[in-house]
Amino acid sequence: MKTQRTDWGRRQPPLVGSSFELYAWFFMRVSGLLLVLLAVGHMFIMHVFNDTLNLDYEFVAARWDTPYWRAFDWLLLALSLLHGTNGLRVVLHDNISDQTVRKLSLSALYVTSTVFFILGTYVIVAFVSKL
Amino acid sequence: MEIDLKILRYDPENDKKGHWEYYKVDAEPEERILDLLHKIKWFEDGSLSFRKSCAHGVCGSDAMVVNGENMLACQVLVKEVSNPIKIEPIRGLPVLKDLIVDMEPFFDSYKKVMPFLINDDEPGDRERLQSPEDRDKFEDTTKCILCAACTTSCPVFWTADSYIGPAAIVNAHRFVMDSRDQGSKQRLEIMKDVNGAFRCRTAFNCTSACPRGIQVTKAIEDVKRETLLNN
Amino acid sequence: MKIVKHSFDGIIVGAGGAGLRAAIEAAPTMKLAVITKLYPTRSHTGAAQGGMSAALANVEEDNWNWHAFDTVKGSDYLADQPAVDILCKEAIDAVVELEHWGLPFSRLESGKIAQRRFGGHTVKEGAAPAFRACYAADRTGHMILQTLYQKCVSMGVEFFDEFQVLDIKIEDGVCKGVVAYEIATGDLHVFEARAVTFATGGFGKIFKVSSNAHSLTGDGPGMLYQKGIPLEDMEFYQFHPTGIYRLGILLSEAARGEGGILRNKDGERFMERYAPSIKDLAPRDMVSRAIATEISAGNGAGPNNDYVFLDLTHLGEEAIMKKLPDITDFVRTYVKIEPINDPIPVQPTAHYAMGGIPTDVNGRVLSDHKGGVIEGVYAAGEAACVSVHGANRLGTNSLLDIVVFGKRAGQSMVDYVSSTKASPLNESAADDLSNKISGFMEKEHTTEFSVAKIRSELQDSMEENAKIFRSKETLDNQTEILSDLRERYKNVTISDKSKVFNSELLEAIELDYLLDMADTTVASALARKESRGAHSREDYPDRDDTKFMKHSFAFKNGDSVKLEYKDVELGKYEPMERKY
Repeated sequence: MKTQRTDWGRRQPPLVGSSFELYAWFFMRVSGLLLVLLAVGHMFIMHVFNDTLNLDYEFVAARWDTPYWRAFDWLLLALSLLHGTNGLRVVLHDNISDQTVRKLSLSALYVTSTVFFILGTYVIVAFVSKL
Repeated sequence: MEIDLKILRYDPENDKKGHWEYYKVDAEPEERILDLLHKIKWFEDGSLSFRKSCAHGVCGSDAMVVNGENMLACQVLVKEVSNPIKIEPIRGLPVLKDLIVDMEPFFDSYKKVMPFLINDDEPGDRERLQSPEDRDKFEDTTKCILCAACTTSCPVFWTADSYIGPAAIVNAHRFVMDSRDQGSKQRLEIMKDVNGAFRCRTAFNCTSACPRGIQVTKAIEDVKRETLLNN
Repeated sequence: MKIVKHSFDGIIVGAGGAGLRAAIEAAPTMKLAVITKLYPTRSHTGAAQGGMSAALANVEEDNWNWHAFDTVKGSDYLADQPAVDILCKEAIDAVVELEHWGLPFSRLESGKIAQRRFGGHTVKEGAAPAFRACYAADRTGHMILQTLYQKCVSMGVEFFDEFQVLDIKIEDGVCKGVVAYEIATGDLHVFEARAVTFATGGFGKIFKVSSNAHSLTGDGPGMLYQKGIPLEDMEFYQFHPTGIYRLGILLSEAARGEGGILRNKDGERFMERYAPSIKDLAPRDMVSRAIATEISAGNGAGPNNDYVFLDLTHLGEEAIMKKLPDITDFVRTYVKIEPINDPIPVQPTAHYAMGGIPTDVNGRVLSDHKGGVIEGVYAAGEAACVSVHGANRLGTNSLLDIVVFGKRAGQSMVDYVSSTKASPLNESAADDLSNKISGFMEKEHTTEFSVAKIRSELQDSMEENAKIFRSKETLDNQTEILSDLRERYKNVTISDKSKVFNSELLEAIELDYLLDMADTTVASALARKESRGAHSREDYPDRDDTKFMKHSFAFKNGDSVKLEYKDVELGKYEPMERKY
């Protein structure tokens, strides 16, 4: 009499099919590189080429006259927020093992980031020069 | 010379948590830490429990934390560590008794990466060919002895025990980089998971902990790159 | 004591190369479990270094008949030649099969499996050293163990890790199952099974300086010996020439296969005097004897003149790091010298048991010297004696032995299980073991009868009296020491009375097996009044083919050993003087 094993040739199925973590990891590298350029550019413009004492409403209004500077600033805003949020997401994942606390902290993080993102975007998009 | 040992002990039948016990042992500078543990077990306190087998660093039984660092007790000599010597079980896995931890979660993670050659082609009656260069691509990760020194030195593993850990990724690397293997697609799917390779934060603890000198973090980065390029 | 009952068709005891290979063969057609006192990947197969021989002819012309000739000659004509033919012929498929399962062999430029030279392996029946050993750097055993375990994982083979089998149930010459101790809980498990394979490995821990793991205590042979099954050729124990001085850690023969040279204290390449044609690549028994002879002639190095040198310095850093990375590591770690620049202090180390549980070529365990078998009991690997190694095993043939005869034992299990019906074994099967353990738990501990004390005296005395050279005087002396140790063992006590990971209890039980191994080794050695292979009697320095072309069978007879003999199965090779 021969008995057959039921789980013969069994291979473990993958855990989940999502590529999110892969893209998140890749995004951190790409956005990191871009942020170096954007943030260094921002710093030079604000602190080296111009005296901070001269930075006033007029300066911003003149700059935002062109859509390119608006795009520059929006990109800086979006990338730094996403980069930072994802970084914090990872830190919270690593350091909070309690599922409820982790969920709460992550929610707080996402809400805060979203609020800042909407606020910043609104300012950049809706700004109309009153000069 | 006389050596002072401080060992974190835990007896599940009587203790609620671990406690330190102190021993004095006479030892030659060339003796292994494992020899010291044996001296205690055989001639002082028979209840001291630890795993061991080959005693020369190839079976992977006796990974433990010596003076704060993960190592194999049979691979480190008395003269290489400072006196007193502090010995604890490896971290991040449940302690069963004294220096013995539950290895089941570790081996479960290992099994998740499908650690076996997948190739459904008919191989014929002679060996498959592989160039020495292709063979060299995974030489480093074939050395793994599954001692868990890397995984239990990983800060991410300490807090997130769902993370499959460096050892499992090393064993995925062993097959992903093997020119004869056809299962990389499935394996890389697993690596993409929230508990897969991208959970690694490149702390490099695993590389310093590996008693076989495997470049563990580099292997993990190789796997991340392969996952990205094959996605 | 809690007792758990399991029901299987087949059980494999031990998860080294032989056990895992048998499991792969048997698992598809039966309810099978592998029981191991370690985790499978901790098995000592993983410590094997140099290679696994097969006449693949990847480097130069080769032929399995030449391999067979070398094996028979290496065995000092004590191997059974039909079994050797099987070993060498099936070697080729065995290596190819492992490659197909993923074993990462080192490769030649052509992409084929690389092969290297090894002691005692020649082309054209002794003409020149042969490139026959298939290898993966100097960690071939590690790769074999990993590959076989990986194959088992892919097949979903059921393992009971850290369970130690301590009793086998045989009724009327028929196997019923085994009883195991769960190390993590102290529970007993009764495994009903009509086919049981023992692949428990060797027993090198009867000696003080040994390349063997702490776990190699002769559990399988000991368990069967205590049930009245004989042990074959126990007087033949191999001493590997190059163990690290004092520690006994193995430095592969591959070091000499790649060109390493043995030198005495004056730097002389002394093997030229002992084996003029193949020098340092002579079989292990001859090289170990040569080293022992050099040392006793005062040519040993060091303050006590008790070691020789293994010199790799002329090989160059690149070759050493590429082909011998692990042993280089061992030398750096344990001796703190740099083998690229300095010769390594070595001495012979207890390494491999040619003898063990007698089996036929299908792994079936023999019940006596007349060819009777125990139904349903099988053995393979170092625990078994087929005999393909005879009086001296050639390097690389052990890794071959485990896969070839592991597979055959697995096939025998399949045949036996498919032609028989399950027969029940109930919880009361655990009674004997339960009583034995209770005995240890209840007896009050006294340091005088501690396990470690008796064991270290056993190891010291075996090292002194029964190692490379033996004589009536040393063996008589050892017989007396062993009977004294045996008396003291009857009073052995343990201090740890816990149930969780009580390794002291297990060491106490294992010591019983070690004493059995030592008893049978010494008794068989005393009765063999000749020198053959690894067995060298100073009082009988010559081989005696008229009287001793025979395998010894050691039976348990109360506290003593009863010996019987069985003729060697000859074949195409006539015994001749063994010269290299």
